[in-house]
Order: sequence, then C-alpha cells, then structure tokens
Amino acid sequence: MSDLLPQDQRAAFRAKAAAIDHPHELIVDALRAVQSHHGWVPDAGVALVAELLGVLAVEVEEVATFYDKIFRRPVGKKVIHVCDSICCWAGGGEAIAAHLQQTLGIGFGETTSDGMFTLLPTCCLGACGDAPAMMVGLTTHGRLTPESIDRILAQYRAEAAG
Amino acid sequence: MNDYPQVLFAGRRPGTTNFLAGYEAGGGYRGLRKALTMSPAGIRELVKAAGLRGRGGAGFPTGVKWSFFPEAPGEKYLLANGDEMEPGTYKDRQLLLADPHQLVEGMAIAAFAMQIPHGYVFLRYAYEECARNVERAIAEAEEKGYLGRNILGSGFSFELHVHRSAGRYILGEETALINGLEGRRPNPRSKPPFPAQAGLFGKPTNVNNIETYCNVPHILVNGADWYQGLSRTPEGAGTMLVGLSGHLHRTEVFELPMGIPLREVIEQVGGGVRGGRRFKACLPGGASTPFLTASQLDTPLDHVHLEQAGSRLGTAGVTVFDDTTCMVAATLNLARFFARESCGWCTPCRDGLQVVVWLLEEIEAGRGHAELLAMLRDQVRNIRGRSFCALAEGAMGPVGALLDRFGDELEDHIARGRCPLKR
Amino acid sequence: MPTLTIDNREITVPEGTNVLEAARALDIVIPHFCYHEALGAVGACRLCAMRITDGKVSGIQMACMVRAKDGMIVSTLDPDAVELRRHVIEWLMTNHPHDCPVCDEGGECQLQEMTIAGGHGNRRYTGKKRTYANQDLGPYIAHEMNRCIACYRCVRTYRDYCGGTDFGVFGSRDRVYFGRVRDGQLESPFAGNLVDVCPTGVFTDKTFRFKSRAWDLQEAPSICPHCSLGCAVVPGARFRELQRIRAGISPEVNGFFICDRGRFAKGSTNDPARPRQPRIDGTPAAMDTAIETLRTRLAAVVARYGPQSVALLGSPHASLEAAVLLRDWAQSLGTTRLVYTAHAEQDRAARITGARLERHARSLNDIRGSDLVVMVGADPLAEGPLLALAARQAVRGGGQVAVIAPQPVELPCRASQLILPTEQLDAALHCLAGGAATTLDATARQQLEALREQLAGAQRPVLVGSSARLGGRGVNTLFDTAEALTTPERTIGVMMLLQGPNSYGGAMLAGRGPNFDMLLDGIEDGRIRALVCLESDPIGESRDPARTQELLGRLDLLAALDARPTATVARAAIFLPTRTGIEADGSYVSNEGRLQAFARVMEPGVPLRDTSPAGHPPREFFTETPGSEPWPAWRVFARLLGRSEDLAVLRREIADLDPRFAPLAGIRPEAPGSRLTTTPGLPHYQLDREARE
Ligand SMILES: Cc1cc2nc3c(=O)[nH]c(=O)nc-3n(C[C@H](O)[C@H](O)[C@H](O)COP(=O)(O)O)c2cc1C
Ligand code: SF4
Ligand code: FES
Repeated sequence: MSDLLPQDQRAAFRAKAAAIDHPHELIVDALRAVQSHHGWVPDAGVALVAELLGVLAVEVEEVATFYDKIFRRPVGKKVIHVCDSICCWAGGGEAIAAHLQQTLGIGFGETTSDGMFTLLPTCCLGACGDAPAMMVGLTTHGRLTPESIDRILAQYRAEAAG
Repeated sequence: MNDYPQVLFAGRRPGTTNFLAGYEAGGGYRGLRKALTMSPAGIRELVKAAGLRGRGGAGFPTGVKWSFFPEAPGEKYLLANGDEMEPGTYKDRQLLLADPHQLVEGMAIAAFAMQIPHGYVFLRYAYEECARNVERAIAEAEEKGYLGRNILGSGFSFELHVHRSAGRYILGEETALINGLEGRRPNPRSKPPFPAQAGLFGKPTNVNNIETYCNVPHILVNGADWYQGLSRTPEGAGTMLVGLSGHLHRTEVFELPMGIPLREVIEQVGGGVRGGRRFKACLPGGASTPFLTASQLDTPLDHVHLEQAGSRLGTAGVTVFDDTTCMVAATLNLARFFARESCGWCTPCRDGLQVVVWLLEEIEAGRGHAELLAMLRDQVRNIRGRSFCALAEGAMGPVGALLDRFGDELEDHIARGRCPLKR
Repeated sequence: MPTLTIDNREITVPEGTNVLEAARALDIVIPHFCYHEALGAVGACRLCAMRITDGKVSGIQMACMVRAKDGMIVSTLDPDAVELRRHVIEWLMTNHPHDCPVCDEGGECQLQEMTIAGGHGNRRYTGKKRTYANQDLGPYIAHEMNRCIACYRCVRTYRDYCGGTDFGVFGSRDRVYFGRVRDGQLESPFAGNLVDVCPTGVFTDKTFRFKSRAWDLQEAPSICPHCSLGCAVVPGARFRELQRIRAGISPEVNGFFICDRGRFAKGSTNDPARPRQPRIDGTPAAMDTAIETLRTRLAAVVARYGPQSVALLGSPHASLEAAVLLRDWAQSLGTTRLVYTAHAEQDRAARITGARLERHARSLNDIRGSDLVVMVGADPLAEGPLLALAARQAVRGGGQVAVIAPQPVELPCRASQLILPTEQLDAALHCLAGGAATTLDATARQQLEALREQLAGAQRPVLVGSSARLGGRGVNTLFDTAEALTTPERTIGVMMLLQGPNSYGGAMLAGRGPNFDMLLDGIEDGRIRALVCLESDPIGESRDPARTQELLGRLDLLAALDARPTATVARAAIFLPTRTGIEADGSYVSNEGRLQAFARVMEPGVPLRDTSPAGHPPREFFTETPGSEPWPAWRVFARLLGRSEDLAVLRREIADLDPRFAPLAGIRPEAPGSRLTTTPGLPHYQLDREARE
C-alpha cells in the first residue's frame, strides 16, 4: 500500500479534505496523484482516496471509471495516447497508429513485453495544427512521421534506461 | 502575410511564454486597473455594448449572460472553461502558452463585474503545460496584488485556482464541467436551474470560455466601439482565434477579424489546400459544425452569416478536406468521436450515436442499402434536438450535412458497394 | 392550479405537477423509463416525448421535464413524438438481449410493454451488442447487466432514496455499468427494491429465480406482517408455495418501497416444520372434532371452576377479525381474563399508545415530509425499517433527525445522536417538555434544551418512540411531552413503534383488561385453570419465559391456535392450525391506528415441491389437498360462537357492534385503509389497577 502515495501527500489530502465543505472536489486530484505516483490506480488506490477524503469508495470509483485518463488497469511506464480524431485522421493518423502498433508489437490497450509502453487511442489532443499527434505521458508530440516516432520512442527508452 | 490587427495574440512570441514582466510591458493589467475604477454594472454594460460573444461554441452574448448574474455579494463562482476537446479546436492552448496573465486579468475583471469571490480555471488533461503557466501566473498576480485579498486596494477580493481534469469531451459542457469540479460524475445537469442561479456547489456560477475572458481586458482598455470596429461585418465584433487544420498548407491558430470570408481564411491565411489538391469541404467551427462546401466559401466567418449558410461558427476551428477525402469516412470518424465521448446519460446519444456509427460503417464498407440510408436519416431527425445536452446535437451537425450536401456520395457508396474514393 | 389540455382533454393539476403526471391523472399513459413517482424526473431516457403546441415552451419536449402551465396544449399522439418514442425503444433494444424466454422479468417487464406500445417490432440494427460480466450480489438479488437500458433508476433508488453506500454507476457512454465496486452481498437493508424499480430483468429476486412466470403467480394485495408499520406488499404464490413478495404501493404508508425483511422473510407459510394438522392430546384429529373438543373441555373447566378460570391470550400477529371474535368469545364464556400480548410491558405501552395517539397520529408519509423527527429509544432499522427510510426522506427534503438512545442508532441518513442510558430516557423526555431533569448531566441537558428550542420552532415535528424500549411509563411520558410542546398552531406528531402488525388493534380491544403477568399470577394461585393462545407463544414471548414455561404446566387445559411450530404449540393439549395472512383474508391496525385489509393469496397446502420433491407430476393422489387443514383463526371463533363464517358478514357485524371499527364494513384490500378514531381513555396502568380490584 505504501507505494500508492507518499505519506506527506496523504497528509496533505487529509488536511485539505478536512478543511473544506466539499471533499468530493478533491477526488480527481487525488486519483491523479495516486496515478502519477503509482502509474495507475489499483483497487487499493480507490480505497485509499476514499479513506483520505472521507468519501465512499463507490463515489471514487464512479468518478474514476468515467475519465479515460485514469487508468484502472496496469499500464506501462509510459502511456502513448494516439489521436484518432478528425484532424489527425485527415493528416494520416491511421498510418501513424499502424506504425506504432507495428514497431511496438502490440495492439491498442496492450503493453509492450518490457513494460515500457502502453498504447491507447485518444480523442483530439488539442494539437490539431500539428496533426498527426500523440501524447506520451503528459507530453504532446506532433507532426508525426514513422521516422520521428522511432526517434521519440528510442529517446523514451534511453531515458528509462539511463 | 499576417497584417491582421492582433489583440489577443499581440504579445505572442512563438516558443516563449509571457509571464508578469512581459505581460505588463505589453500593457497588461491596464484593463483591470480601469475596471476597478468603474461600477460592476458599468463593466457589464460595456461588455454588452462591445458585442462580445462567447468563444466556447455556443456564441452567447457575454455581456447579456453577465447581466443576468446576481450581483448581491455571497458565495459565487467564476469558471473558465478550458476543456477544449472538440476536434479541430486548439486555440485556448495557444493563449495559455503565449499569455496566461491575459486570462487571469480577464477573469479578475469578470469577477469584479459580477462580484464573485472565487474562481477556477478548468483545464483538460492534455494541457499540463498550460496548467503550470496559469498556476505561475496566478502566483505572480497574487504577489502583485492583481488577485487575492483586496485587489489593488479596491476592497474587492478574488482568488483563483486551477483544476486539472482527467479526460472526456463532455466536461466542456458547462454543467458537466461543474459536476466534474465537484468531484461528481460529470453528466450534464438539467437546466433550469441555470448555473447563474445554482451552479458549482449550488451557488451562482458564471462559465465562460478562456478566449472569451481574454477579450475582456482589451474591451476595458479600448472601448466598445473599437471592439465592434475590429469586425469586418457589422454582425460580428472583435477578432477571433481561428485554428486551421486538415489539408491546408499552414495549420496554425491565427487571430483574424470576425467576419473574414472563409475563402480568405483558406486561400490566403491557410495558404490553400496542400499538395495542389482541390478544396472539397470544411468544418468551419469544430467537429460539431455542419460541413460547408466549395460553393459556400464566400461566407463571412461570423455567427450570423455561418448560421445563414446552414452551419455554425462554433469554436472557429476550420478543418479542411481535399478532394481525395471520402466524406462518409470523415463523418464516420466524427461520429465515432461523439459516440465515444457520450457521457451515457440519455438514450439518443448513448445508444443512438452508436447506431449512427454502425450505419456509417456499413455504408462506408460498401454494405449499405436504401433502408440503411433511410435509417440514417431517421437517426438525424430523432437525435437532433432530442438529447439531454448539446453533445448529441453537435454530433448531428456533420451527419446532417453529409446527408444534405453529400447525398450523392452516400448513394455512390451504396450503388457501387464500395467506397468510390478508395482505389 | 394550472389548467392544461392534453389530447383535447382539459385537466387542472396542482402547481409543480409535471406534464407526465398531469397526463396520468387523465389516464393517459405517456411511456417512460427513468421517471418514477418516488424518484422524480431526470430526463434521461427521452421516452416520454410529446408535443407542446401552445404556451411558452413549445415543440417536442420530455413530458417529465416540463411543468404543467396554465393554457398549455399537449399532444401525446403527435407523429413526431410517436416517431421519437419508437426510436428510443429501438435504441434501447439495440443492445438488449433477446433472452425474454429465460428472463424472470418476462411478463412484468416494462421494456417488453414499451417495445410493444412503441411499435418497435423489427430490429433494423444488425451490428454487435455490448456485453458485460455480471456480479455476485449475494443470495437475494441476481444481476444480469446485459439487459440494462441505463434508466438510472437503480442507482437513484439505492443511493439517493435508500441511502445505500455500496452500489453505483461506473463507466460512461454505451458502457455504463450499474453494480458494486466489487462482487459481494448488497449491504443496504432496502436492496430488494432494485428488483421492483428495475424496468427490465437486470435485478431480479434470486430467491424466486426460475420458479414461476409472473402471469402464473397468484397475487393479492396484502400487508407485511413483520412489524407494526403496515407496509403494502404483494405476495405471489404458485404450486401452494409463497414464492416471492414485492412492494405494494401505499402513498400514506410505505410509498413504493419495502424493506428486505418484508420482501425476503416469507414467514411460516412454506415452513416444512409448520404444524398443519389439528391435534388432541398429541393425536391427529379433524378440525371439526378438535373445535368441539375444545368447546367441551372448556365447558368442563368452566363448570368446575367458574368462567373466570378461563384465560384467553391473543397476539400482535393475529388479524383484527380474529382478535375481535376472541373478545366476543371471552364475553360469551363469561371471562374478563383476556390479554392481547404475552409481553406485559409492551402491552402497557401499546394500550397507552392506543389511548393517547389521537390527534398526534402521523403516517410514514407525514414523517417523510417532517422538518424535525426526534427518535427516543427507537431503533427503526430493527423495529420498523420503513420508518428509517421515511426519516431519510425527511432529511433529503431539508428536515432534521435527532436520536436519543442508549447506543448510537444506525440510520440511512444524517442524524444527531445523544447517547443516554435507558433509565434516563424518561428524564430526557421530561427535559424536552421543559422539566428540570436534575438526574441528567449538564451536557445532556444543554443538548436537550437546544432540541427543545428546535422542536418549538419546527412546523411539522414528530416524536418517535418504541414500545419495546420505552415501556408503558416511557410511552406515557412521550405523550406528555408531545402534549406539552403542542401549541394551538401545530400539534407535535407521534409515531410509536409497536410489537407487531396488529398490536394497535389488540390494544384497542384489551381496554381495561388485565395483562399477561396478571394471568400468570392467576395460574400460579390456581384461579386460572385453562389458557387458550391465539397465534401467541407465551413461552417465547413473555417477559419471563422460564416462569411461563413452568406455570403453563400447571394448567388443566392449554390450547393453541397457530401456524408456527412454537414451544407453546408443542405443549398444547388441543392444537388448531391456523392460516397465515397469505392464506386468509383479514385486517390489521398499524401503529398509527390505520386499519388495512389483506387478501388471501392462495389456499393452504403443503407446497408441491415438498409433496413431490422429484417434481412434476405428483406421485401420490389425494382427494384433499395435503396440508390444507388450517382455518383462518377468525373462522374457528365464528364456529365456536355459532356465528356466520362469511367474513363479509362478520365484518359488518363487527362494524355495527363496535363503532370504532366502522370502516371494517366496507374495507377493501386494494384501498389505502383508514385511520381509526381512538376513544380517549384513562392511562392504562390505572385500568390495570381497576382490573386487579
Ligand atoms: C458537448 C459540449 C462540449 C463543450 N466543450 C466546450 C469547451 O471545451 N470549451 C468551452 O469553452 N465551451 C464548451 N462548450 C460550451 C459550454 O457549455 C459553454 O457554453 C461555454 O463554456 C460558455 O462560454 P462562452 O459563453 O464564453 O462560450 C461545450 C458544450 C457542449 C455541449
Ligand atoms: S447528449 Fe445525453 S448522453 Fe450525450 S453527453 Fe449529453 S447528456 Fe450525455
Ligand atoms: S484531431 Fe488530433 S489533435 Fe485534434
């Protein structure tokens, strides 16, 4: 459990929740905090958020499962969100997605065997002028080509290794 | 190429973000200082007179919205809608990457005009950099007395926070956004009561788009007439941020005068269709706006003229398609987006959009027949205006236009049993 | 009071009524799923479309979301509205499985009805359907998510209305999922209502699974026998088995919901250990013979020791009709030794309630609309769960709930809790009434004084007590408090939780009679030689079971009428099997003094599954239904009294003879029942004393 969220952050959430009238407003923040620390939100993370904020576990789960950027299943070190909305589609997004699947050797919703990348489709990333685009973690990469993708992936791998 | 008057983008230097020093050097916070010398009602009147209309998609006159707002002091909230998840829309991001203080100043003025003590900037998941910029701007503004207790000695207090979302387009709908902020399931709420009566935590709440707020300081400084005069057409007012995307040479966000003809936007600003191909269609204002065709290129980009042309200005995100584009496939892509982003509350959207997707898939794959086409028409007729919120309504924008304006392309798919544009 | 026109017919409805409700008042049914009278309108399903052609709002609108306004013209038959409704059904059906043949909801499925009403008979969609994994929600409720049409009624019932905390809606778009965070038994004591509110077969009664088709069930309006509140229920039986119970609708009482005890506890009707055969000294006998033997043996006791040597013990569980005839029989025998509750203290409390409730009487609906509910010593989830649910509605409507009890009382809503030992509850009530209450500590006094202020300011306050916890004295004090705080502008309401479904009726009949402890004294000193127990088990239910057990052994004659295999039944020399409320018509007087009838659902008999366990067809052939001997208890007394054995006639006679029961003459089980006017009486402990003398 201890790797879900560091003690100081737990204390901070507890204190904030106690100080406000509507502790529910911290649910998304707390879920995001667990996720950024733990990579994803396991059942214990839902329970932890409920406990820290003094709300029902079911209320946390109702919110957690609504958002597509809260991961309730294990993901790789980096989640790759490939945009499949209209501008990226018009800019060749389908080929980009195919290239990603091929180089990573996985389909959508899957994680590479080394646990490095999880590939997910996403709706518009607000990078429509830089289509086709993808987001790795919280960083957006646009004007993708097969070559630039290979470069970007290699860079993330290198960062993770070093 | 760009000698259009620049207001919101006046201080923008690609690749850098203006923080306090830069923003003040460019005349920042003069609007707020001016506002604090005026009466709240006077500011609301000014914004009304300027003719500013909301940039979040619905185009509601901002001053009118503000004038309905209860002025009596109390727990009230001011929200900036930075969900910006409608495909083709990426202007608010540019604003926050360029000048986050512009939003802070606009919101501070709006808060004063409606006597609101608390505010939130709601930002989508993908805009982490924007969120950090706004947080820094808020901290700087507090330091300088532009925000927080007793702003610039006026006795007025306004505190501002950033809320980071976790995905989903529906959060852009203002009542869903309010539920999202409260940490509830972000289904839209029924109106009435409107947010101005009972919004965040049941208190009066004003929601505007980020770009809408960013216009406000300039109206304060330069006046309503100046603002009106920025538009090319008398029906419009001010400038707007137009995000170009799709098959154009230049796909960026440009600040352009309201009322600029679509042709000028596409051919001059956007540099024309890429690769020497011909223009086929465009979404003039984001994914929820009906397609326009080549014959409509002379339409001025303002709320009134686009509506006359059977579309909407929406968020002014112009997505252009060249003549190799299959409009059925493009519409299918859009329909998939809306179906996937449905919140799941009401039947026409939750289940109806899925049927639309299926119908378009069948037709696009060459499995269509006359009954399916009839069924597609049924869907549009029965989803449009019948859903709980405007998401499903928006989804019907391009689908309706496909039926109305590209009926022959649909028929062609059915007649040939395949997509005529695929070789 | 707006007047509007719907399908060319005019109707005037109360302010705030929505168009769907207004139409219903005209018997025009606008199809709907997400709207529910108890849950309100949320506009999610979009099925209740109609056209408004005049007035402020116009066009195709959702009837549930539009308030009726003066001058509105509404068409439910408008072609666009009809077309939309057809499409909504078609959309809902795109993912719905065609498993009606194996679905328990079949026959009472709103989706089936609406599909037919909506004219959707041919699925044009041939794409894929989404499917879900189901959850194990425990032994009572089955989960079949593929059938879900996302009307959100379940979560609104479970969480919002009932205050459950372990059920919700997950996911989004066309993948919303209604269930628990993980598998496990639903925790709410009102979980069973999911079965009733779900318009399709997502939530069905697991205990009833695959037993019967709804249309094959024998059903009748009934009253739940498990507590004193008198909730409406609709039991369903087939093959001589009580197979399920669903909630009845009673606006003044339970509204639309019942508790899980009322739904899943089926009582003795199907109990294989149930005694169904009359017995005389341990030997099976025919009913007529047993009744005649009872008559002659009692006559012998009377001849030898005088009429007062016979004592009769009724019960909070027996029907009012049986209870009245028991009194008539006592009179004909010439004995005044008639008691209606084996527990003397509960008896006292019930009689005081009957004597003093009068203008303080409040229904569960009144509680739902109360602005301040003060519970003294009551534990509603144990003693009358629907009261807890009513209190929750009071809180949801902006009211407050305050609890004064010896230990924290669990409620499905916010409530202030003041913990005081049982002995101090009386002092607390005095203190609320403005008394000095010197026995209480300072903090308790302070809190009580604050509560007194609140009571003084409340518009619709109700004091809730419990006969079990407060006893006669406490109940009396509670009424004193209610009276003391009553002002000319508004009366303080009272709701007293009593022991059983007819405690109140028994208390009305007990009048000045003795209590059971006095009967025990009589047995001990030999004045009482015979005891007849009507659906009562004094060994199990009196204050001192050991003493009772010992003393019953001294009787010359112990007779019992019952449907349960109790210790008393086992010891009785003469035993007469009676029918349960499922097998007989009858009525109860609930704790608010409301007389309500229940109707026979089926004839008694050993369930077919017990007589032929291997299934159909039965292996043995009988001319009589096995196990059909039990009689309604009232019929036994009618026979003993030589009166009509037609219940309608008896009811009319009772109504004529005792004006307090006048409504019995025209009583109908499907009607809401009526509150009886109580005759104000002396506090009953004085009655006791009189009876002693
Ligand atoms: C499905 C849906 C998505 C929306 N998304 C956004 C959005 O991302 N940003 C935004 O400002 N407004 C969005 N809106 C419009 C808002 O509901 C609201 O009208 C707007 O924020 C008001 O601000 P404005 O008057 O300044 O435009 C959306 C509306 C709908 C129905
Ligand atoms: S149209 Fe209905 S289902 Fe779709 S997003 Fe709006 S409320 Fe949700
Ligand atoms: S459509 Fe891909 S980022 Fe907007």
